[in-house]
Amino acid sequence: MKQFKLLLKSPWFVFGAAMFLLCIVVGVIYPLVSHTDPFLRNGVPFDSPSGQHWLGTNGEGQDMFSRLLFGLRSSLFVGVAAGIFATFLGTFIGIVGGYKGGILDNALTLVTNLFMVIPSILVLILIANSIEKRSMLLVAFIIGATTWPWTARAVSAQTSSLKNREHVSLAKLNGYGIFSILFMQILPYIMSYVFMVFIIQMATGILEEAAISMMGLGPYDSVTLGQIINQSQKTEAFTNGNWWVFMPATLLITALQFSLYIVNTSMEGIFNPRLRKEE
Amino acid sequence: MHDLGPTNTGIAPLLTVDDLAVHYMTRFGQQVQAVKGVSFTLDEGKVFGIAGESGCGKSTLVNGVMGLFIPPLFYTRGSVIVDGEDITKYDKEKLRVEILGKKISMIPQGALNSLNPTRKVKKFATDVMKNHEPDLSKSEIYDRLEERFKAIGLDPRVLNMYPLELSGGMKQRVVIGISTLMNPHVVIADEPTSALDVSTQKSVIKMLLELMERKIFGSMIFITHELPLLYHVADSIAVMYDGKFVEVGDCDQIINRPAHEYSKQLMNAITKLSTSGQRHADGGNK
Repeated sequence: MKQFKLLLKSPWFVFGAAMFLLCIVVGVIYPLVSHTDPFLRNGVPFDSPSGQHWLGTNGEGQDMFSRLLFGLRSSLFVGVAAGIFATFLGTFIGIVGGYKGGILDNALTLVTNLFMVIPSILVLILIANSIEKRSMLLVAFIIGATTWPWTARAVSAQTSSLKNREHVSLAKLNGYGIFSILFMQILPYIMSYVFMVFIIQMATGILEEAAISMMGLGPYDSVTLGQIINQSQKTEAFTNGNWWVFMPATLLITALQFSLYIVNTSMEGIFNPRLRKEE
Repeated sequence: MHDLGPTNTGIAPLLTVDDLAVHYMTRFGQQVQAVKGVSFTLDEGKVFGIAGESGCGKSTLVNGVMGLFIPPLFYTRGSVIVDGEDITKYDKEKLRVEILGKKISMIPQGALNSLNPTRKVKKFATDVMKNHEPDLSKSEIYDRLEERFKAIGLDPRVLNMYPLELSGGMKQRVVIGISTLMNPHVVIADEPTSALDVSTQKSVIKMLLELMERKIFGSMIFITHELPLLYHVADSIAVMYDGKFVEVGDCDQIINRPAHEYSKQLMNAITKLSTSGQRHADGGNK
C-alpha cells in the first residue's frame, strides 16, 4: 500500500497509467454502446474524415472510427491474455527450477535457453501459419508461449538466491510443503518484479499481435490494430495517401507501448530501493 | 550404542540417536565426513547441551537428527528413533507431514532473519498450523495462536504485525512461539541466543525452560559454542569436536572437571577480565 501511494506521487506513473486506463475504458465501453458494425460497408471507399465518419472509411467503405475502437479492444485482449500466460509460465518455470535446482533446473534452463536463441517472431509466424483458424485466445496463447523465457531466467536467478534465506529454512523446518514455500515464502518477495514483468509482457503481446496481424496471420474472428494496418497495405492506402486508414491505428499502438513503458519505468523507480529517490 | 547422553529413567526416551554419521559430497565427488558416529538419548523434561567450536559439525548433526538430508548432505549410517520409528528411513513427504514441526522442531541459528518480511506474523503461524492440521477452523487457529503468544510473553497484537515492526528479542520469541506451536516432543535450539544481548539472552533461555516445564514441548537439545552457558541450561552436556562427541557428562563434570583436552581448551577460551587491570590503569593507551 505504501508503495502504491509512492507510485501515485510519480507524475510519470500517473500519466502513463491514465493513458493506458483511458485506452481500456474506451476500448471496453465503445463496442458495448456502438451501433456501427465495423465489418459492414456503410460508406463509400476511402471517404475522408467527416461528421458522419469521424475517421473516414477504408478501401471497403467500413467506418474507421468504429474499426479502430473494436480493434483496440481486441488488441488489448490479446495483449493482456498473452501477458498473463507468458508471466504465469515464465514465473512458474523459473520459481520451480530455481528452488529445486539440480537436474530439474538444468533441464528447465536448457529449454529456456533454447527458446531464447530461437527468434520468437519466427516461431510465432510458423505456428500461426500452421493453424488455419486462429482465435484471439489462440493467438494470445501462441505469443505467450514464445515470450516467457526472459521471465523464467530472471525469476529462477532470484529464487536461487531467496531459497537460502532463513525464513525459508524456518518454513521447511516447520513442515511447509514445496508449493507452500514457493507461493507463500518466495513469491511475495518477487511479486513486484513479477508485476513489472506482466506489464512488459503485455506490451510485448500487443506489439507481437500487431506484427503477425500485419503479415496476415492474426486472429480470424475479429478486427485488431495490426489487421487495420495489414488491410491498409492490401488496399494500397499507404501509396494513395489515405492516412486516416493506417495512421490512427499506428498512433494507438505507439500510445499503448509508450504508456506501458513509462508505467514500467516509473514502477521500477519505486520498487527498486536503489533507484528510489524519496521515501 | 555408543556414548550415551542424559541418563535413562526407564521410560522410553523421546529421542534416541545411535551411531549417526552424515557426510557432504563435494562437486568433485569427494566425501567429507561431517558427523562421525554420534549417539545419545533424550528423556522427557531434559535438556541436552551440545558445545563445540564453529565448524565442528553441530548444525550438520541437527540436520541429521531432523532427517533433513538435502544434497550435498547425505546419510551415511546410524538411526534416529522417534516414537519407536527410525526417521532416517522416512521419505521426504512422510518426514514433512509426521515429524518436522510436529515431533521435532527447531529454533534456527539466524532467528532474527527467520521471519518473512513480506508476511504478517499471523499468516506465517497460520500456515504452519494449517500444514499440520488442515481441518482447523480460523477461529480455532487464532485462539490457539493468542494463547501461545501470551504464554511466550507477547501481546497477541504482535500477530498482526510485520517482522520489521518487531525488536530482536520479540522476533526471537515469535520464532520460538511458531516453532513450538505443534507442541513437539523435541525442540532443537541451534544457538538461539547468539545474536542477542546478554539480558535478552537470559530472558529467552528462561522462557524456553518455562515452556518445557509447562509441557509445551517435551525436551530440548541446546546447541552453542559457549560451553559455560550450558551450565545454566542443560542437564547434561556433550562436547563436540571434529564431528564426534569427545566428552559427555553432567554439567558439573564438564564445566568444573573437564577430562578431555579439548573440553579444557574450550573452557579456557572464555574471555576473562585481566587480573592486573593494567589496561584501565593506563587509561587504555597501552
